[in-house]
Amino acid sequence: MPSQPILLFDDECGVCRKIAAWVKRSAQLKSGGTSLIVRPIGNDPEALRRLNPELDIWQAYATIHVVMPDQSLKLGGEAVAEVLRRLPRTSWLARSFAVCIFGLRPFQALLNLGYLILADVRPLFGCESCGSPSPWVRAIKWFMKLPKLALGEHRPNTTPHFSTRTRPLPLR
Amino acid sequence: MNDETAVLADSSSGRVPMLTRASFAAQVLQGEGPIAVEFMSYGCAHCRAIEPILQQVAAMVKGKEKIFQVNVAVDQGLADSFAIQGTPTIVMFLNGEEAGRVEGASPNLSSVLTAVTQPFE
Repeated sequence: MPSQPILLFDDECGVCRKIAAWVKRSAQLKSGGTSLIVRPIGNDPEALRRLNPELDIWQAYATIHVVMPDQSLKLGGEAVAEVLRRLPRTSWLARSFAVCIFGLRPFQALLNLGYLILADVRPLFGCESCGSPSPWVRAIKWFMKLPKLALGEHRPNTTPHFSTRTRPLPLR
Repeated sequence: MNDETAVLADSSSGRVPMLTRASFAAQVLQGEGPIAVEFMSYGCAHCRAIEPILQQVAAMVKGKEKIFQVNVAVDQGLADSFAIQGTPTIVMFLNGEEAGRVEGASPNLSSVLTAVTQPFE
């Protein structure tokens, strides 16, 4: 197990790929090392379970996971805070998430809310692997799909399978 | 662990076994009786929604029908050979021949159960 936390990202989601690339660049230390390992979730459930026996590949795709050096897991907003804490440029910002007022962590609560909203709106950016949209996003997504529904191009409840040999479906 | 033993290990764990190109021919094309194969990928939200229901359906039809999965992200060639255009797609086989298919079954028990059993009725 490496001494740095491991950020697992959804490599089938364009938004997640861009964020992961930024994190990877930002995690580079001047000394040449890295403060955080960024790796795609991939397709091997067993390889994930070797990082943490409780790590489920379906859950890993559903929400952001950080595997800590002691094999514990951080999810959602807590994982985002851990990533920001590990990046040299954002570690100052991450200190605010630990601020505790009357037993509550208001900035961490805001971050959790921000993550939930981002996770909700990702399907609007064409991400098909980010989970089913919430009702409020579904309404917007449905509106955006109207032209395709009218043309009969929409295939419900499927994710387009992009292949090098068969003609892929157009992006929803 | 070779492909055959990997399939057996999945079966003994009670989960729907994952097939690869190598094990697909032996398990499905040369298989006997009704077989359903879900073409899926872990990064597909609709597959995630259907997964617990498929596991439940697999337990319900155990002994009458075999259910397998193929990860299209790993075995793209296999998905191509069955003209899979979206995931999840469940393809039903009877004695190695395609008997029907359902694209994007609704994630509820009756839909998935109907999808995997109706072509054989």
